[in-house]
Amino acid sequence: MSTATPRQDKGTEPVFSVHNLWKVFGPKAERVPADPELAALSPAELRSRTGCTAAVHDVSFDVRKGEVFVVMGLSGSGKSTLVRCLTRLIEPTSGGLAIDGEDVLAMDKARLRELRRHRAAMVFQHFGLLPHRTVLDNVAYGLEIQGVSRAERRAKAAAIVTKVGLEGMEQRRPGQLSGGQQQRVGLARALAVDPEVLLFDEPFSALDPLIRRDMQEEVIRLHREEGRTMVFITHDLNEALRLGDRIALMRDGRIVQLGTPEEIVGSPADDYVREFVRDVPREQVMTVRTAMRAASAEEAGRGPAVSPEATVSEAIEAVARTGSPARVMDGGRCVGVVDHERLLGVVAGTGVPTDDRAAEAVAPAAGHRAAEAVAPAAGHRAARGGTRPEESGPRPEESGTRQAPARDTRAPGTPDAGVPVASGEGEVA
Amino acid sequence: MATATAPIGHTGLADRARALVRHRAAGKLLLLALAAAVIVPFLNARWASGTWPHALTVDLTDPLGKVSTWIIDNRDSHPLFLYFFGYISNAVVLSVRAVYLVLLAAGWAGVTAVAALVAWRTAGVRLALGTAAAFLTCGLLGMWVPTMQTLALMVVAVLASVALGTLLGLAAGLSDRTYRALRPVLDTMQVLPAFAYLLPVVLVFGIGVPAAVLATVVYAAPPMARLTALGLRGADTGVMEAVASLGATARQRLLTARLPLARKELLLGLNQTIMMALSMAVIASVIGAGGLGDRVYQALASVDVGAALAAGIPIVLLAVVLDRVTGAAGERLGGDSRGNPRAWAYAAVVAVAVALAGRLTDLLDWPDAWAVHIAEPVNRAVDWMTDHLYSGVPYIGGTADWAGHFTTWILDPLRDGLQWLPWWSVLLIVAALAWLIGTWRTALTAVLAMAAIGVLGVWKPSLDTLSQVLAAVAVTLVLGFAIGIAAARSERVERLLRPVLDVFQTMPQFVYLIPVVALFGVGRAPAVAAAVVYALPAVVRITTQGLRAVDPAALESARSLGATSGQQLRQVQLPLARPALLLAVNQGVVLVLAVVIIGGLVGGGALGYDVVFGLAQGDLATGLVAGAAIVCLGLMLDRVTQPTERRAKKGA
Repeated sequence: MSTATPRQDKGTEPVFSVHNLWKVFGPKAERVPADPELAALSPAELRSRTGCTAAVHDVSFDVRKGEVFVVMGLSGSGKSTLVRCLTRLIEPTSGGLAIDGEDVLAMDKARLRELRRHRAAMVFQHFGLLPHRTVLDNVAYGLEIQGVSRAERRAKAAAIVTKVGLEGMEQRRPGQLSGGQQQRVGLARALAVDPEVLLFDEPFSALDPLIRRDMQEEVIRLHREEGRTMVFITHDLNEALRLGDRIALMRDGRIVQLGTPEEIVGSPADDYVREFVRDVPREQVMTVRTAMRAASAEEAGRGPAVSPEATVSEAIEAVARTGSPARVMDGGRCVGVVDHERLLGVVAGTGVPTDDRAAEAVAPAAGHRAAEAVAPAAGHRAARGGTRPEESGPRPEESGTRQAPARDTRAPGTPDAGVPVASGEGEVA
Repeated sequence: MATATAPIGHTGLADRARALVRHRAAGKLLLLALAAAVIVPFLNARWASGTWPHALTVDLTDPLGKVSTWIIDNRDSHPLFLYFFGYISNAVVLSVRAVYLVLLAAGWAGVTAVAALVAWRTAGVRLALGTAAAFLTCGLLGMWVPTMQTLALMVVAVLASVALGTLLGLAAGLSDRTYRALRPVLDTMQVLPAFAYLLPVVLVFGIGVPAAVLATVVYAAPPMARLTALGLRGADTGVMEAVASLGATARQRLLTARLPLARKELLLGLNQTIMMALSMAVIASVIGAGGLGDRVYQALASVDVGAALAAGIPIVLLAVVLDRVTGAAGERLGGDSRGNPRAWAYAAVVAVAVALAGRLTDLLDWPDAWAVHIAEPVNRAVDWMTDHLYSGVPYIGGTADWAGHFTTWILDPLRDGLQWLPWWSVLLIVAALAWLIGTWRTALTAVLAMAAIGVLGVWKPSLDTLSQVLAAVAVTLVLGFAIGIAAARSERVERLLRPVLDVFQTMPQFVYLIPVVALFGVGRAPAVAAAVVYALPAVVRITTQGLRAVDPAALESARSLGATSGQQLRQVQLPLARPALLLAVNQGVVLVLAVVIIGGLVGGGALGYDVVFGLAQGDLATGLVAGAAIVCLGLMLDRVTQPTERRAKKGA
């Protein structure tokens, strides 16, 4: 979640370190990364020149310990290929890839099997369950492959089955389960081997929207309980924003932007990303820390208190309830305030107004929009089941380490040219 | 049609011509016509004759005769036979004998009990009762010993076929190169009539049980190999990826995922292998298999319909029981297929107890007193039919009259017409048909196969066989499409038809000869009738399924536009079901050929008779040449009717 700050300050090594990774499909694929001229071509040109497709195009990133790293992009952007490269289910064409500092590409077969058995387990979009085995045996399958004795693996599997909420279904077969339950089995199978990293390849795309939300809650809960590192592939922006500590946005095999959800939504790197996040309910992603302004002495003394990590949508609720600007309280200290103008500015995507003239220019449109936008936003939030307060709760000390949000670097008051102010399309699609 | 879209103006004619060439089928025909215009005058000038020119034949009788003599002379002395074929032959004889003795030792009570219990555990109570009833009926008909002989041969042949087929299937399933090499061979083997397999094994092993078993294995192993390979290759890639992602070794991937995922195909392969083995084990009576098939064969030779029926009923029962039990085992997979080991143990104990009881009460052989002899009453009925139905029935004529009319009005003109056609025109027609429906490759194969028939010097009998096939296919398709359309349009018709089709599709080819001989006597017409009856179920079924599988949305939209049901059928269902209909034609042709050849046993003459004659007279050369011609004919007919997609499985 946007509130979960990566613990890079603890100086631990990244779990996965990927640099200049390439995966090219096609004849004589290895020449493409080697040749700077070919490497610079657009996908269409590359295809017509060489017959190759670069599914992963010179990608570099680190996955930090304990974070949820989301790779998001539309279909064909190379995200699924990328996650398969991490355990060499697909052999990368060139580049560097390390897990805990150990070179994955240099591993021999036995070592690679070891990696897949103990260190990284994957959850698949279409579950990949063995239809002839019971739920319990499916969950125990990874342990069976490792050679764990029957009694031990069954006991372990039973515990995991309970953990993912499938108790009572141990003896069923995958064919008798719903899609959501099947994916719980897939998740349990990955958890059973107690891996260091969980890899998710669009795990919830095949599920109904309501089940999908349940499963997302499940993943959030698991992450909160165990703090396991996760790499999560999705094409669903809302899912990415819900789950990701950091998001890598992919297009045509390249990472076009890498940052926190707030950075992605608040300061898109280019028009593509801007277009992408256009319909995001910004008030649910942006925090009041970004939206606040300095408090006057009078304001610092009264009004509802919100945490800096609270979303704008939560602040809107507080402000709407009391009718006065909300104080942003960090550790008992007032660090700023958010008022109607500020909050509406975020909702409208017009930036934070600094002078009255700008405020006037925006106000009519924004006001009109807010009336429509807030209601669904509140509904949306209610459906999230209040995970956020609990989630930000356990690690208040971490909030201090958060990087200065990129939003602050923007010239204040300049409305985003690319973002239409118009109408109530800001709701969740 | 491209011609329809061409603009018709002052250059209309030229455009039309160009459009015609652009149209694929027309282009092919035009090219073929050009080639023919160049080659035919030359061929005609050189070898002008209606039938295949003698100058172009190669007489294989002599060399083949020499080979066969050499083999017979050296069978007991040459190391190849002593140390290779001899061992195989001995092993086969020994194992068949061992199984046979075990079956006899278990006694009729024991065998019935074991069969019923196996059926109960794999397929449920109803099939268990059916199985027991079937075995008891075999005994009642006085056919216990021949049934056991056939069963013993089957057990050995099926085990060998499954082992061989699984090995080949594993190789083809795991290696792309093996698959590419093996697939055309297996595909071709499946379209060849059973009779074609008999002679090569006889050449090597002589007439007897080893030859029968090996012919059966060669005939029955391909479906197992095919389906194993298909199943292994068709494993869900998602599951395989998940298994790999958990760090499974290649062995673990095969044993814990790929093979279990292919269970359905493996069991289907087992089912088909068993059915084909039974079919062949019965036909192999011609080369000394003994058992039920032999009884039918002997009875047919003396036109003793009663005796043939008494031996034929056990064959049908055996076929139905084996098919249902293995089929049910395949269908029960999704559920608790593991089975309860304790239940199996109880079942085994009961079976042993029954067998022991049978032994102790000295009831090993089926008591003669319990046998019901149906041969005589059946023969009386047949005699009555001969007297009253054969001919002279007012207005409708008699069955023999029909057969006679069919022969003189349809078969004779067709045969004479084919034989009158210049040989090159036959080749041209074959080329045109094969090319229109397939690729130039299939056309080339078909033409070469047809030419090979000429070269072998059996042009005339082959065209005779071909005329019977064409007549039978025409009748089959007219009936099959009509019934298929009716079944596709009416649930009730389909419900009524289904059990009938199920039974008919499981019966071995040989059995169909019995009723047609009773009805029509011997000759070419009965052979054609048997072929029609044999091929009809597959054609009906494929037609029905094809029509039913038509996209309901397309039908709905046609209906919403106000199409009458006739219009829906003509304009939507039939065009969309075209692939299925083509497949039905292909299947019909292949199945008809198989039975027309066997028709040689009941006076069908032509190639089938040559094979039987060769076997009966020990004149292997004649038989082998005829066998080769059958292979070529089968290949040609399959290629001529083969749409681009191969069919998935043999219908029978």
